[in-house]
Amino acid sequence: MRIFNSTSINFLRYRKIAYGVSLAILLAGFVSLAVKGLNYGIDFRGGSEVVIRFEKDVPVGEVRSVLRDAGVSGTLKQYGLDRSFLLSTVFNGDTNDLKLLITSALNARMKDSPHEIVRIDAVGPSIASDLKWSAVKAMVAALLAILLYVGIRFELKFAAAGVVAIFHDVLIVLGLFSLLGGVFDVMPLEMDQSIIAAFLTIAGYSITDTVVVYDRIRERIRNQKPSEYERIFNESINQTLSRTIITSGTTLLTVFVLFIFAGPAIRGFAFAVFAGILIGTYSSIFVAAPLVFDWLKFSKTPVKLRGSQKS
Amino acid sequence: MKNKRFNLLLIAVVTLIALWSLWPTWRDYSFSRQLSSFSSQQDSLNFVLSHRNEIEDARQKSLKLGLDLKGGMHLVMEVDQVDLFSEKAWNRDARFDSLMAAVAKEARTSDADVVDLLSAAFKKDNIRLSRYFYDIRNTDGEIQGKLRTEAEDALVRAREIIRNRIDQYGVAEPMITTQGNRKIIIELPGVSDENRMRNLLKGTAKLEFRLLREPDALVRTLDRINSAMAAGTVAAASTGKPSTSPLFDLVSVSPGGSAVIDARNRDLVSSLLRDATVRELLPPDSEMLISARPETGSDAVSYHDLYLVKKTPELTGGVITEAKATFGSQGVQPEVLMSMNSEGTSKWARITGANIGKRVAIVLDGAVYSAPVVQSKIPNGNSVINGIQSLEEAKDLEIVLKAGALPAPVRIIEERTVGPSLGADYIRAGFQSMIWGFSAVVIFMIIYYRMAGLAADTALILNVLIVLSVLAGFNASLSLPGIAGIVLTVGMAVDANVLIYERIREEIADGRTVTAAVTQGYDKAFSSILDSHVTTLAAAFLLYTYGIGPIQGFAVTLMIGTAASLFTAIVVTREIFQFLLSRNKMTAKSFG
Repeated sequence: MRIFNSTSINFLRYRKIAYGVSLAILLAGFVSLAVKGLNYGIDFRGGSEVVIRFEKDVPVGEVRSVLRDAGVSGTLKQYGLDRSFLLSTVFNGDTNDLKLLITSALNARMKDSPHEIVRIDAVGPSIASDLKWSAVKAMVAALLAILLYVGIRFELKFAAAGVVAIFHDVLIVLGLFSLLGGVFDVMPLEMDQSIIAAFLTIAGYSITDTVVVYDRIRERIRNQKPSEYERIFNESINQTLSRTIITSGTTLLTVFVLFIFAGPAIRGFAFAVFAGILIGTYSSIFVAAPLVFDWLKFSKTPVKLRGSQKS
Repeated sequence: MKNKRFNLLLIAVVTLIALWSLWPTWRDYSFSRQLSSFSSQQDSLNFVLSHRNEIEDARQKSLKLGLDLKGGMHLVMEVDQVDLFSEKAWNRDARFDSLMAAVAKEARTSDADVVDLLSAAFKKDNIRLSRYFYDIRNTDGEIQGKLRTEAEDALVRAREIIRNRIDQYGVAEPMITTQGNRKIIIELPGVSDENRMRNLLKGTAKLEFRLLREPDALVRTLDRINSAMAAGTVAAASTGKPSTSPLFDLVSVSPGGSAVIDARNRDLVSSLLRDATVRELLPPDSEMLISARPETGSDAVSYHDLYLVKKTPELTGGVITEAKATFGSQGVQPEVLMSMNSEGTSKWARITGANIGKRVAIVLDGAVYSAPVVQSKIPNGNSVINGIQSLEEAKDLEIVLKAGALPAPVRIIEERTVGPSLGADYIRAGFQSMIWGFSAVVIFMIIYYRMAGLAADTALILNVLIVLSVLAGFNASLSLPGIAGIVLTVGMAVDANVLIYERIREEIADGRTVTAAVTQGYDKAFSSILDSHVTTLAAAFLLYTYGIGPIQGFAVTLMIGTAASLFTAIVVTREIFQFLLSRNKMTAKSFG
């Protein structure tokens, strides 16, 4: 079976439009980040989260009012599991007190629908700031490592454009998290550790996609005149298009499965990776390689690439 | 061809090692299946007895499930260094206390080094550290070094004591490690009673024997506090309504000179007692303490006793060598019997001998458990804690007393607890996503690439086997994020095959023979595959380095899966093609 049989789309011709679209989406994300900000999870904000599961269906309002009367501060929301609610409240070193307060209130006022506390997460403020720093360090280190590796394997222009593409992908997903944060009940899209894992996965995936296109360009660009670059770039993107789409497809398939089956703890992560792969695929075609092309055109020097294969 | 032999051998060895490493997991699974299939308990008991060694061996070597899947607690505890250093200071005054309070507040919201914070705070006020710490001749640098060593020692000791407590409580396979200079990370799989666990872990277990002040001293002190409160000089005493005797609204004094407070007012009174102005009203070297447990009076109101004790303890818990939870003489009230070492025994004999007729309070972590009247000199070093509500609590006291006191208070600063029922849900969810993700990719590859897809699927199966076997072999555990990592790897691992197959299709379209196309395809795709794998590995490695707990699980499976796919997707599929080509079973159609 073949879906993309020897295509010859002039991708570079659409690059200006693609830049425009990317910039517009990025800008929307930035505006949302500035105005609405991000929905931080307890990993980065500090606080306690308690998942309470009932044996029977109970209205959220009733649970909410019972807990409020008992003096439990915080917000109660439907959780992505069956008959479950998520209570987020401030961090308190003594989880026993919190648990006791919840259990006694619910047992007293909602006797006929027994409940169980199935999960407790409590993160103190010092840990939260610690986690935040680790996340920042991991992202910066990842970008530097990628810049270095691609710089050594290809050339600085390629590496820089690849890192720009990563930024593009991660920032758009970050913007999406800001725009859609708290909109859906099934996925609150909170920034937590798993989202940082998603960002690094996206970064890895995005550069993988980009490198495959670069690799083809490198293979074909040897001893070619700069006037031929446009044709070579286009052909290279077209030749790798099938692979790009198929791999994205299989990965999207598995991430979609995670989104559906793996439960609420993984849902935000799966959403981020799903969006990231879609955008990463787009950016490797419409952003990374075209940027290199524009840069080469601008600098007007023939490209010297390392590690080209003899073929 | 020597090279070809080597590859085949390598594949065989890797497959065998993977299967061997997963064999105990399979055994463990089939044992538990067998056990649940027995109809009577007697049958299953007999089965366990006759296969005991095999079952335990299989369990030990099988693939472990993470805390989130199995249920359990993940705790991060912090040694309170501010308290540790305050205890070390030798002439504490109000200025020192306020400085330390500011440092404590700062330390609570950041991860900065406490010694640094402390030095900065002292420097800002132009106070030399040697004014309070160690020798006056020490420079600030020397003192910082000493405090750091002190902190390290405290952390190591705290870890050992916590390990002792957990071991005595009995948790299977706990993991206790330290992180940085003040954190202890504790992983407790399958703990059912988390409340008790928390209580067991957080107490300092600082045991003190302190003499009580005379009853009329208590009454006089309470009068003084009361008039200060009525005069409005006590900041913490904002009970709302003005009153002529604000303290005696909270505290009732009996004619015998003992004072009690309503259990509902406990927090209020204890915050009142912490107030600096109130503390100044106490007699010298004295402290006001509240009883640990409320007692229920005849009017069904529970109340706490209030004690005025000497601040300097007569004896501390360091002398305790043995503790035993038991029932008291009437056989209903649980209590803890303690015996002391020889030094403690002689001191205890002297103290009790000199104070016959007086009361000695037994204080644990700042709360009075009991305050018995000394009847006679106790020569054998025995003492007893009563005022305990349940045997369970007595047992916990026994554990913490035996394990010894922590060098400084510890606090739980992070906790992640998953109940077993949610864990079971997670297992189901993880298993389902693995099955569906795997099947979807496998079916897609066959449809899209036909016979070559089948080869890629074989490689994929081996890949998942390798990931699981490496986890089992290195005693790492599989968590829900780990499963997510595997599922994601399944999607990305076929990338290498896709790259190769697309290349081969191109070569075939260019008119090469199948054999030449296969060779060319592998050769030309290799550089892309290497680059893409290295970048993914780098990202996963950084995630592992900077992430904690759950995220590391994800990073580990992603790393193993990506590295393994370099082998499975390239070497394994190529060998399959070589074999098929040598038998002329492949045509241009084989690549879909």
